[in-house]
Amino acid sequence: MPSALESYPSTHRSWLIAGTVMAVLTILPFVLGQLGRTGEYWLWVATEMVIMALFSLSLNLILGFGGMVSFGHAAFFGVGAYTVALLMKKGGVGFVPAMAAAPLVSALAAGVIGWFCVRRVGLYFSILTLAFGQLIFMITLQLYGYTGGDDGIHGIPRPVLLTPLSYYLVCLALVAGSYLLMRFLTKSPFGLTIRMTRENPERAKFLGINVKGYQLVNFIIAGGFAGLAGGLFTELNRFAQTEFLHWSKSAEPIFASLVGGMYSLIGPAIGSTVLIFLKIIIQQIHQGLVEIWGIILGVILLGVVLFMPEGIVGVYEKIRARRRRPQ
Amino acid sequence: MMNLQFMLFILINGLSQGMVLFIIASGLSLVFGVLRVINFAHGSLYMIGAFLAFSLSSLFAGKTLFAFLMLMLLVPPAVAVLGLGLEVSLFRRIYRKEHLLQLLLTYSLVLILDGLTRIIWGGQIRNVPRPEILAGSLDLFGLFFPSYNLFLLIMGPLIAAGLWTLLYRSRAGNYIRAAVTYPEMLGALGVNVPGVMTATFMLGCFLAGLGGVFMSALANIDLSIGMERIIECFAVVVIGGLGSVGGALLGSLIIGVGVAFIQIYFSRMALVFPYVIMALVLIIRPWGLFGKPER
Repeated sequence: MPSALESYPSTHRSWLIAGTVMAVLTILPFVLGQLGRTGEYWLWVATEMVIMALFSLSLNLILGFGGMVSFGHAAFFGVGAYTVALLMKKGGVGFVPAMAAAPLVSALAAGVIGWFCVRRVGLYFSILTLAFGQLIFMITLQLYGYTGGDDGIHGIPRPVLLTPLSYYLVCLALVAGSYLLMRFLTKSPFGLTIRMTRENPERAKFLGINVKGYQLVNFIIAGGFAGLAGGLFTELNRFAQTEFLHWSKSAEPIFASLVGGMYSLIGPAIGSTVLIFLKIIIQQIHQGLVEIWGIILGVILLGVVLFMPEGIVGVYEKIRARRRRPQ
Repeated sequence: MMNLQFMLFILINGLSQGMVLFIIASGLSLVFGVLRVINFAHGSLYMIGAFLAFSLSSLFAGKTLFAFLMLMLLVPPAVAVLGLGLEVSLFRRIYRKEHLLQLLLTYSLVLILDGLTRIIWGGQIRNVPRPEILAGSLDLFGLFFPSYNLFLLIMGPLIAAGLWTLLYRSRAGNYIRAAVTYPEMLGALGVNVPGVMTATFMLGCFLAGLGGVFMSALANIDLSIGMERIIECFAVVVIGGLGSVGGALLGSLIIGVGVAFIQIYFSRMALVFPYVIMALVLIIRPWGLFGKPER
């Protein structure tokens, strides 16, 4: 594990790169718009990538910054998804209030679940989050009257103003805003305290810090952002289904964080984008390869775990450092 | 009378499910105890055992007891050899790494093994015919019980006793238990600790394979059984305490019987039961009923 000081190298990155990336991402849909049906498809993919990047970023608040492995993060993604689905489809609520409610409801759920989970450390925390996540999954599956059980909720209304293009831009703006918020958060005294509870919870406790309290607040914030991602994803697909809550969904942002680099703020977003892109490319090469996507993903993860556990960002940082001080 | 018969039938059914669960979960628990790694892929190894049993049984073609005994003799060692390969090539490299990397390594193995199982055996639902002698029902005091379930009720305790003898009454067991409590000391005494770890991992895989054989004749098997089972195994080892074989037995029986009875009265809630009980134990007594608090 890298030391606390050098753990977040990417936060030193100049605003220039961030600006360039944002500019490219903003122009991207207009370029894709020129490509006809292929362009439409890739716009949808790009929107999914942006949303899933937020989901991965939200998990990494717990995983990379908090040093706690949550296997139930999909619960909050799903709660956000179902909040939007129920409010818009059954409650007749508009897009904006529904999307505002998603992170709040998810944060509430994270508050209740987190209150129990942060009391446990290490493996026990992981298994407890898994148990609670699956509990929410099962409850959603059983409440057929509200959630449609296995079928999920389909046909979520789409406001007239939201074309695929404008929806992409809305998502991009929200995710970029969330990223800035997280960046602010991780650099704030709160963020530093969270890192301290990761590196040395004992010492933090002796300094009079309420470790569990901080971890709970962090858990709630992460749950809220996951809820926003879930809400956005539901509106993109115009359906919510129980798969959003399943523990295999919880694994996705963990993979993304690992591949991208969990000791950087932006790493999980990069990892998530790379994995989605890879999956789609493989799909394009040959439909039959989808069958073995699991094996491909497994081999990639295996390679990352064994040979570059610091992820893409970590490898990039290493190369940069080597170039700066040649020895 | 009918009611008693019914209740007993459910009980036997739950107990025999619990026995299969115990055989698998004890392997998981044992591996965790020595290697300190929670092996997500344990469920996949169990599934591979079940499918191997399916392939072998169609090879033998007969529904004789001999054919079934051959499955019991051949499949678990095959899974253990697979485990040997995995331990030596992969697990060994991550013992000293963080929990997260260990979990992710075993999870990536789940993806790979499940994918390979899909390629080799396909998505169909399979089962292994019970040997004729165990296929019927047995008349006990005027009540009828499926013989195969009774067979499992005998096998479960036998395997538990065998495991207990191995762990507490043999030299190999001494090494394993020493590796749980003080691996450095064991190494200093000249014991090949990595070898003990490999052997323990193989034993765990052996048990997963054996559970697969028993399950393949108890119920239908398909590609989802590995994932389902590993969660149940987590519940079992959490209830009993990670690393405790006796705890795994108790946990398995609680889950097996609990699920069987809940299924009768609130069919849809049965799936929730393992999670509820797992969460409750973790909140109230996180080291499990038989485990000892860490730190």
